[in-house]
Amino acid sequence: MTSSRSFLSAVVLALAAFAAAGCGDSDDGGAEAGNSGGSMTIAQTSQPDALDPALAYTSQSWEPLWVVYTPPLTYRHAEGQEGTELIPGVAEALPEISDDGKTYSFKIREGLKYSNGKPVKASDFEHTIKRVLNLESGGTYLFEGIEGATDFIEGGDPKADITGIEADDATGEVTITLTEPDGTFSNVLATNFAGMVPASTPFENQSTKPPPGVGPYEITESVPNRQFTLSQVEGFDIPDVPKGKVDTITTRIVKSTSRQAQDVIGGKLDYMQDPPPTDLLAEIKASHSDRYKDWPTPSTYYFFLNQSIPPFDNEQAREAVNVAIDSTAIARIFGGRLKPSCNVIPSGIPGHEDPDPCPFGDPSAAGDVDEAKRLVEEAGVGGEKVTVYANNDSNRPQIGEYYTDLLNQIGFDADLKIIDGAIYFNTIGNEKTKAQTGLAAWYPDFAHPGSFLQQFDGTAIQPTNNSNYGYVNDPEINKGIADLLKEPDVATVADQWAELDRKAIEKSYLAPYGSEELTTFMSDRVDFDNCSLVHPLYGNDYTSFCLK
Amino acid sequence: MALAFGALFVALVLCALAAPLWADLAGRGPEATNVTGKIEVDGRQVDVVSLDGTPIGPQWRSEYFLGADANGRDVMVRLLYGARNSLLIGIAAALLTTILATLVGLLAGYLGRWVDAVARSALDVIWAFPVILLGVALATALAVGGLQIGPFTLEAGSTAISIAVIAVVYVPYMARPIRGEVLALREKEFVEAARAQGAGPLRTMLSELLPNLSSTIVVFAPLMVANAILLESALSFLGVGVVPPAPSWGNMIDAGVERLVTAPHLAIVPGAMLVATVLALNVLGDGVRDAFDPRSRASWGARRP
Repeated sequence: MTSSRSFLSAVVLALAAFAAAGCGDSDDGGAEAGNSGGSMTIAQTSQPDALDPALAYTSQSWEPLWVVYTPPLTYRHAEGQEGTELIPGVAEALPEISDDGKTYSFKIREGLKYSNGKPVKASDFEHTIKRVLNLESGGTYLFEGIEGATDFIEGGDPKADITGIEADDATGEVTITLTEPDGTFSNVLATNFAGMVPASTPFENQSTKPPPGVGPYEITESVPNRQFTLSQVEGFDIPDVPKGKVDTITTRIVKSTSRQAQDVIGGKLDYMQDPPPTDLLAEIKASHSDRYKDWPTPSTYYFFLNQSIPPFDNEQAREAVNVAIDSTAIARIFGGRLKPSCNVIPSGIPGHEDPDPCPFGDPSAAGDVDEAKRLVEEAGVGGEKVTVYANNDSNRPQIGEYYTDLLNQIGFDADLKIIDGAIYFNTIGNEKTKAQTGLAAWYPDFAHPGSFLQQFDGTAIQPTNNSNYGYVNDPEINKGIADLLKEPDVATVADQWAELDRKAIEKSYLAPYGSEELTTFMSDRVDFDNCSLVHPLYGNDYTSFCLK
Repeated sequence: MALAFGALFVALVLCALAAPLWADLAGRGPEATNVTGKIEVDGRQVDVVSLDGTPIGPQWRSEYFLGADANGRDVMVRLLYGARNSLLIGIAAALLTTILATLVGLLAGYLGRWVDAVARSALDVIWAFPVILLGVALATALAVGGLQIGPFTLEAGSTAISIAVIAVVYVPYMARPIRGEVLALREKEFVEAARAQGAGPLRTMLSELLPNLSSTIVVFAPLMVANAILLESALSFLGVGVVPPAPSWGNMIDAGVERLVTAPHLAIVPGAMLVATVLALNVLGDGVRDAFDPRSRASWGARRP
């Protein structure tokens, strides 16, 4: 999952240590401590990319949508490693998987209803997946392994059948047949893309009028670029999925993180999704430590390098960028909330290995600009025009300016293009944009190395909503990913994932620079100690929020 | 008073022109980042940008005279180069506004009939939008694909886009009074005399009307420059004017707002420059108006106790 800026995501598996007190009772779905009722007003810095589960693919949208659209499977609402445990969601139980690993069967829970009171049907599942595929969502690649999915996409007819999905409304049974075994498919069934919507949901972006879903909350208001409101759904009942405590949660779009932080301090806002700005961080840590915490994420922050067009179709040009980057400089722009690294698979995810040494120098040391200059000259790409893409979210323009200057220092003729955060990833993920290089970040769709390396899978490149921003298409890596994804037990092939990671960075398919630390900062109204659960994949869990 | 502020404006322009000299003194250009650099302060090495991201404050010497920004760039150097961009866009946009407004005002006022109807409608449409809203809308629309008019191409993100947008937005504010004045002038005897002598519309407009509009145009010019600089700063502040890393006062204020607590100089310094420039131009404009319109000065004077 992409993050347009900070936030969300995955607390490292090994970092379960910060499990918060009181909110982690797995028997009741966790997070049931604290008072119920009341309203909260929270803030995001820019409009989420979509409020439609078929299209939403950033941490900004996944955090709220997780509590609105429950997929067939979901994750336990808990911190640390416990939060990566798959549990049944809309499905009655975890799926039965055939011996050859190609068939997944599950049954929809009886009596389950959408937030509008209509019953959930098995055939809604096929419609849900059809919308993802037909709308060319960024999540398309996750479902392309279903038999007939490719034909459905190519046919372009939303009424056509996906042969690999059989749904029986009478029994509630759903059977999915894959073309190849996929060891991550249970996780795929737990992504927001599989969040069930009724079969009457149109085949178009529903962000302004989000469809009903199955979840503890429903979206009752959506005014783009202004605010959207989540209201608690009466009668929602799925075991182990908390019902939520606060009646309504209104998310306002407030561009300035300074204003957000001041409003949280003053009690006008109850929570800010992004980290407070560097300017106020020290004061917040000193004066409001009772309602602030930061937590590492298994994220990868990097500059994408588009190898389908010059100059980064040249390996030496890409290598020059990697050699020149000074992760410690970027860490300062992050206000110290960045842990420098040179990996694709971050710490905490199976397959992570600290390369020793990193192929282009110690990420905790300054870059070698002179060597980079030499590489640029040797590659014959000196003076080539490069447009750097960045978004306008907090501190991203500064990183873009740093990167632009760095490219100019090593011999390119670089300029910067700043795009609004709400459309940034759609823009760079559109083939027609021909974005040469720019800022990108990745948070896992699930705690699996494939979730990181799949964004460098050449077979997953698509004309719009593409997540392979660098258009990496290396047959060896493509095959490696395909083979390793078939393995159901990731631990047994962790070394091979690490090997693929090494290949990607040795060939400079991207220029990684670190993992971000994210924050939870809440107002004095919130019962912070009992009601601020951080989920490893979805960030701050809205069902845990409660007022004092 | 007007002369003093006129001198202040000239001084600001000279400072902007001297930007490369100051950059040489400071040892770095306006876009050169230095996030992990150190400088000597009181005999010890100090981070230009601290580990928690706080930039160093004013040093009152050639290097980092007004401190650094979040990317370790020299604020004084960026301020002077920013002045170049802000003044260039302001003056060029005001000049373009003046040319377009004079052309539209002359044609509409003198030719009348359908030409006047079309021009007035177009001006009313532009007038109907708040200046900043229209500026942001146009600048955003042109930010992606640029603009092509016949053989002329304005590349996306170029300074020319900002100039064109600001110029167009302010045309009604100058064209309407010019048109009104032309409507009055065309009925005057000297215009009729010129026509009676066989002068065509073009010659009448250029030889008889335009010279009589010069005082209006000269009075408007400094005010238009001030308005254009303000709008450029607003557009840059909102992210649709001068594209970083190129500096302008507007985008410097924008970057500084996020650090008002730990580095207030980042927003205050360009803000103060903007206020000084606009104030100087407004007072200068008032002085020019008084010089060309003695009645205005007399009536002001008459009201004094």
